[in-house]
Amino acid sequence: MSGADTSLWPFVVYFFAVLALVATMLGLSWLLGQHRANAATNVPFESGALSVGSPQIHMAVEFYLIAIFFVIFDLETVFIFAWAVAFFELGWAGFISISIFILLLGVALVYELRSGALDWGIKTRSGAPTSTLTQEAQK
Amino acid sequence: MNIDDLQGLLPLLTLAAGATALMLQIAFARNIKLTSFLAVATLLAATLSIVWAGESAPRFVTPLLRADKLALVFSALFCVAGAVTAILSMDYLNNRGDEPEEYFLLLVLSTLGACVLAYASHLASLLLGLELMSVSLYALIAYPDKTKLPLEAAIKYLVLSGAASATMLFGFALLYATTGTLQFSAMAQQLANIDTGNITLLVASVMIVTGLGFKLSLVPFHMWTPDVYDGAPAPVAGYLASVGKAAVFVVLVRWFIASNLFRFSILIDCIALLAILSMLAGNGLALLQTNIKRMLAYSSVAHMGYLVIILVVGSDLAHRPLAIEAGMYYLIAYTATTIAAFGLLTLLSAGKSQKENIQLHDVSGLFWHQPLYACLMLVALLSLAGIPLTAGFVAKFYLISSAVSDGRWILLGSLAIGSSIGIYYYLRVVFYMTRRVEEHKNIPEAAHGLIEKFMTCTLIASILLLGIVPQSLMEYLRSILQLVN
Repeated sequence: MSGADTSLWPFVVYFFAVLALVATMLGLSWLLGQHRANAATNVPFESGALSVGSPQIHMAVEFYLIAIFFVIFDLETVFIFAWAVAFFELGWAGFISISIFILLLGVALVYELRSGALDWGIKTRSGAPTSTLTQEAQK
Repeated sequence: MNIDDLQGLLPLLTLAAGATALMLQIAFARNIKLTSFLAVATLLAATLSIVWAGESAPRFVTPLLRADKLALVFSALFCVAGAVTAILSMDYLNNRGDEPEEYFLLLVLSTLGACVLAYASHLASLLLGLELMSVSLYALIAYPDKTKLPLEAAIKYLVLSGAASATMLFGFALLYATTGTLQFSAMAQQLANIDTGNITLLVASVMIVTGLGFKLSLVPFHMWTPDVYDGAPAPVAGYLASVGKAAVFVVLVRWFIASNLFRFSILIDCIALLAILSMLAGNGLALLQTNIKRMLAYSSVAHMGYLVIILVVGSDLAHRPLAIEAGMYYLIAYTATTIAAFGLLTLLSAGKSQKENIQLHDVSGLFWHQPLYACLMLVALLSLAGIPLTAGFVAKFYLISSAVSDGRWILLGSLAIGSSIGIYYYLRVVFYMTRRVEEHKNIPEAAHGLIEKFMTCTLIASILLLGIVPQSLMEYLRSILQLVN
């Protein structure tokens, strides 16, 4: 028997002890507990207050979009940083390449701005007819 | 980088500039007509620029890209396929929706990715091209139709394709660990000194075969294919099935030639096994389908099985030129045919009815009320089945003759079994199309513009021309492949 095996077996015992403990607790409460099927049995317990409505509510995920944009633009700075470190070695060729790169980033930003991806709240996209909801929001 | 280098990259530069222009146009003036016109113009301009780019070929433009005739021919094919897809989907999009302009932008970007794959001579450019193409495709699948099925298809494709790419990337890393290079031709020199049984190399090749097998949807990595094709909008499914597969295959062939991977007999045996499984399972499962998109999906699995035979045949140096030539011809024929078959589904589901899942009984009687479109489907199906006078026949003949010359009898046997199963399910569609319909209830309303009619005629003509007078294209392919080999 090697040292690795002897140091492992308390962990195995512990693992099975956890399983046994959980099984005992659940099994005993199922055996000893009462089995009732009243109307109120399956209602979630909220300190006496009855729950209202469905939990499946649609929520706007603004933060997610902002986070994605952050990741995208933040990652692009890595490339610009790599260029800046080697500025003199790369010369004009590097300058022209990074200019094109930054230009493309700018175009992407303009697109996002114009298509309303950066608007907080109700989204409007350019050229799309504004819905009644948006008009109310603007009033 | 000098002016000749830029000239060699002209198609890629045109596509990138076009995509940028499209993005600005969408930002400032949303107009579907203008966007679709600009996208088609960009794709055609990129096709035309290839003539000029050919003057500076062949040359390495940075170690990443190699601008040679092979790259240019397939760039031209992908750009034309992109343009045809764009034109065919105009009507489809008009009836579907709000703000479909980005569809064309994504299509141009995806074509750019496919062209980068055709140029790739380095694993980094392979991965970049592959990801540019597939990421655009995920969005293309979910974008035009905002219902559940396309969304499900896009998510499935995203997750599975991401996993395949990650596996492949791990394989590249292991390959880099053993050879110390990612460039195809430099890798050949390194691999020549390494024992073929090297364990790291074996693990790397298993991972890479898994990744690329997924992208080519070879059995047993094919499970995503029917679901994604079924959920994807018809024009996108056609593009994915033709350009998405052809670009991956072109880069695979380039890699095999440049790094001389044919030397590894275990790898070749694995590929032969995948080919046999794909041919049999693909054709067998296609038999059971009543949804035409799913049937075409399984048939594309089978066709990819036929196609990878050329990698096996190519392992014999004497037969390699013929095998590669056959593969390239097959790819061109397959692309034209697949675009045509899915083109019909696009035209059928373009109408106001917005019918997406075309079943067999939906095309019944098509010959009697839409003879032109039925002819398109007929030609495409006959070509897929490999009936004479179509592109598919010449391609399959070429493929079989190269396999016979190398004496690969097991592969040929499965090809014969697969093809004969194939004839049944392809002709079943034709049989349904010729039926006389009693009740005219379920006829999907088809697109009926002049442009659609013109595209239909062009597709029929190109498939027939490839099948009747293939000599000039064959000779051209032979001349450019001599330079590559």
